[in-house]
Amino acid sequence: MSARGLPPALRDSLRVRGGSCYRHCQEAIRVREIAGGSPGLWQVMACPSGVVSVVSYSEFGPSDPSSRVLSALRRWTRPPSRVRRRDLRLATRHGPELGPRAERWLAHARPGEKVWVVYWRVYPVKGPDGVERRLGVCFRHPRSPVFFLGAPDSPTWGCPDCPPASRPSRSPAKRDARPRPKGR
Amino acid sequence: MRAPPPSRRPRRVTIVLAQWCPHCVPLSVRNEERIARKLGVPLRTLDIDRKDQGKEADRLVRQYGDRAPDYLIPQVFLEWSDGTVQHLLTGFSEQVARTAAAWRDLLGSAWLARTRREAGEG
Repeated sequence: MSARGLPPALRDSLRVRGGSCYRHCQEAIRVREIAGGSPGLWQVMACPSGVVSVVSYSEFGPSDPSSRVLSALRRWTRPPSRVRRRDLRLATRHGPELGPRAERWLAHARPGEKVWVVYWRVYPVKGPDGVERRLGVCFRHPRSPVFFLGAPDSPTWGCPDCPPASRPSRSPAKRDARPRPKGR
Repeated sequence: MRAPPPSRRPRRVTIVLAQWCPHCVPLSVRNEERIARKLGVPLRTLDIDRKDQGKEADRLVRQYGDRAPDYLIPQVFLEWSDGTVQHLLTGFSEQVARTAAAWRDLLGSAWLARTRREAGEG
């Protein structure tokens, strides 16, 4: 069975509005919606330095999309083995907790179909050198984001798919000229 | 979430949480108390870090909740007089403010108003 994506009533309710960076800095996060070739809603929440707080995928449909989320994230992550199933966390949303509009919409939905939200959060890890590494993201590639693990304070911090000379040294997200989603 | 058959009544609200989780304490504990009061039922807290409560928390999440190897907290459940268990809410990983908004929506929802009305009539 195929998923039905997200109707506007649900999409509006599940859009992230603001917030601050998770355990890295005090900066406000930027929320990027990405296409991802899936019917649902991909959102990447990252601070201006490109450190990712959390990635989410929301979908309305009959089945848990975790496996598809895992595959997509592995396509976008260098190396793909950084994406572990245990870092994916599932939430189902029922309607009453999503506001009146979503609740009304879901009250008339077919039984057996749900709102699924899969979160990908990677906690900082310390390498053998004692340096803390975090999940970063680069949006400078036309087809998809590139996720990577690195030390944000290091001069080598940056996207492994970008040529070294063009890697932003401190704030990759600021150099991203592509428009951000409006109004959220 | 559909209306429950009127023959059954809410019996207990349970929250699965951890003391270190800012989505759980004090935010969800306070709101769990509110929803339990509105429904006129007792509440139960299951702390995933306590040996005597963690197993039951895992069972509830595995059977009725949003299971994952490292599942999200808080998760809130409503138990009914006929033995069914209804998953009500899982914390929003995005930020604590989003979980707070979800609680506000749940407490003001048409579903809760209907459930209270039907429980009062039962």
